[in-house]
Amino acid sequence: MRNPARHTLSVLACAGALVLTGCSGDAEPAPGAAPSEPVTPEAAPDYDVALSEPVEDSVYPDVGDPSVDALHYDLDLTWDPDARVLTGEQELTFRATTTGDTFQLDLGEPLEVTEVTFDGETVDFEHVGKDLVVTAPVTADERYVLGVDYAGTPEAVPAPTMRGDFSDTGFTITDTGETWTMQEPFGAYTWYAVNDQPADKALYDVELSVPSPWVGVANGELTDRDDEDGVTTTTWHLAEPAASYLTTVAFGDFEMTEDVSPSGVPITYWVQPDAPAHVMPGLRTTPAAIAWLEEKLGPYPFDTFGTVVVDSDSGMETQTMVTLGDTDYTTSPAVVLHELAHQWYGDTVTPDDWRDVWMNEGMAMYLQGMWQADQDRRPVDAVMDEWARFEDEERALAGPPADYDPQSFGSGNIYYGPALMWHELRQRIGDDEFFRIMRAWPEERTNTNAGRDDYLPWLEEQTGRELSAFFDAWLLGKRTPPRG
Amino acid sequence: MTTEGLTPDETDELARRARDGDRGALETLLSAVRPRTLNVCRGVLPHSSDAEDACQEALLNVATKIGQWGGRGRFTTWLHVVAVNSARTTYRRLKNQAVATDTPQLERPDPRTTSVIAGTRLDLLEAMETIEREHPQLVEPLLLRDVYGMSYEEIAQQVGAPLGTIKAQIHHGRKLVRPLLRGTP
Repeated sequence: MRNPARHTLSVLACAGALVLTGCSGDAEPAPGAAPSEPVTPEAAPDYDVALSEPVEDSVYPDVGDPSVDALHYDLDLTWDPDARVLTGEQELTFRATTTGDTFQLDLGEPLEVTEVTFDGETVDFEHVGKDLVVTAPVTADERYVLGVDYAGTPEAVPAPTMRGDFSDTGFTITDTGETWTMQEPFGAYTWYAVNDQPADKALYDVELSVPSPWVGVANGELTDRDDEDGVTTTTWHLAEPAASYLTTVAFGDFEMTEDVSPSGVPITYWVQPDAPAHVMPGLRTTPAAIAWLEEKLGPYPFDTFGTVVVDSDSGMETQTMVTLGDTDYTTSPAVVLHELAHQWYGDTVTPDDWRDVWMNEGMAMYLQGMWQADQDRRPVDAVMDEWARFEDEERALAGPPADYDPQSFGSGNIYYGPALMWHELRQRIGDDEFFRIMRAWPEERTNTNAGRDDYLPWLEEQTGRELSAFFDAWLLGKRTPPRG
Repeated sequence: MTTEGLTPDETDELARRARDGDRGALETLLSAVRPRTLNVCRGVLPHSSDAEDACQEALLNVATKIGQWGGRGRFTTWLHVVAVNSARTTYRRLKNQAVATDTPQLERPDPRTTSVIAGTRLDLLEAMETIEREHPQLVEPLLLRDVYGMSYEEIAQQVGAPLGTIKAQIHHGRKLVRPLLRGTP
């Protein structure tokens, strides 16, 4: 989504012109089947910031469906830790991208759907495997509200990765009934009905209920908390659109600790009382990490920040509420900084296709390398030289950074090679130019998606240099290119 | 997402300590490589519970045979070979059980969901069983190349044979395997 304003205009024009002429010639309303009560732009909340151009993913085409442009997910989730049952009432406001009789979302097979409504009316659906196919007539560019009621014990799904720190993604239940989720490149569908592909950003309002004293944590700002009749209910508002892999939800005995960045960003840490002793000192490096990154990248791109610490061995840059495993490593200052860096590179501007995940990890890793060099009081070149020693191996194992083996998602190849590439570019164009460009990209693409087709020409324009051979060698080469 | 906690050098260092008898290092190593091992097994055995069995067997093999890791190449390379071989052993056992109890053949994967990598194809595993009888030396290079996707250089290092030999073995192996695969004329 490059230009939200353009979408707004076309939606408004469409709503007005529909009765007379149809919309842009190809959206003929079926006779007698005018969509029931389309939400009028005047009455609807302003979801235009969440308009996207959904696509079929080139790496993981089985997940996500471009028929739906999700605008706002309203999720009401109740977790029963004893029965291990998640009960969901969901209202999704979406824009249909095509005219047709059905549309499709992803929803985990173990969740049983009890009712689906379309603009308030009960409609037919099929839930086969993880595909939820809803039978309801939709017209391209019209907006609708889909209701989905479901319940069941969610199951994480095998992840297409060779990493050592996780083998499944999605909603994960601990032996003692706490839950958490990490879901890159997909797996949000294990706990709600979603277009689970990164090009389709949406807004979120989430209400979480769980027996007290446990509490539910999600993305965004905590707007209400209420402990009544033995149930704790929290409501969370995400003010800016997020891709589905960047959502998070966790239920457990979390205690909230407040903090603030030097620039005034309110921070919350959500940690269980029995968490290892290294956890809080690690999280307490957050304000300094925000300050370090703001100096490089400009103001933190969202209104609030938080971290929820869960029983995982990995760490994920879930938007405005990072999800970290409770290990020494995943709560270390370097990982805290890495996931924060993603709020600029990955979250406010997000790849539209999984082939471009290097756009996230390359810059987050380069920032981490620069930060590490600062900490160790040594030149960044020394860190880069260390990484370069095994970079060739990462490519051999998982493929070039921008053309990786789909079964090896998240290997070192998408991190170290692109980080080295940024360092090479910096040496070519000089520090001033490099830092200006590094800061400008997330600023210019705030709350959007972008892929290499946008990014690489933009970089050439910004630098005034022809860089296609340079990018090809670093991003698509089978070997580490020669370093300067 | 964060990078994995251990760099390749750190994993090798941990594995060296485990190999040299450090029990704590071995435990840390096994838990650190479990997800990766499971995913290698999943690449070979499409059914989740089969892959779990194979993963258990692979980790047991790592624990008992780590002395055989020569430190020639990366520990993870050796681990992948152990995992693929454990998955094949598990497959063989399952097949024998299926025949012995006269239950239906292992379910074949739905072709629509079959991954582009050959590793999720049971017919490839079956073909390996067939060529192993006459040409056992071709199996490991072929598996490492076409199931695991390793480079020729890495395979040569792993198997301890010249690059030219490896390329010829893989070429020969593919020629033998091709007519045994589903969907080939």
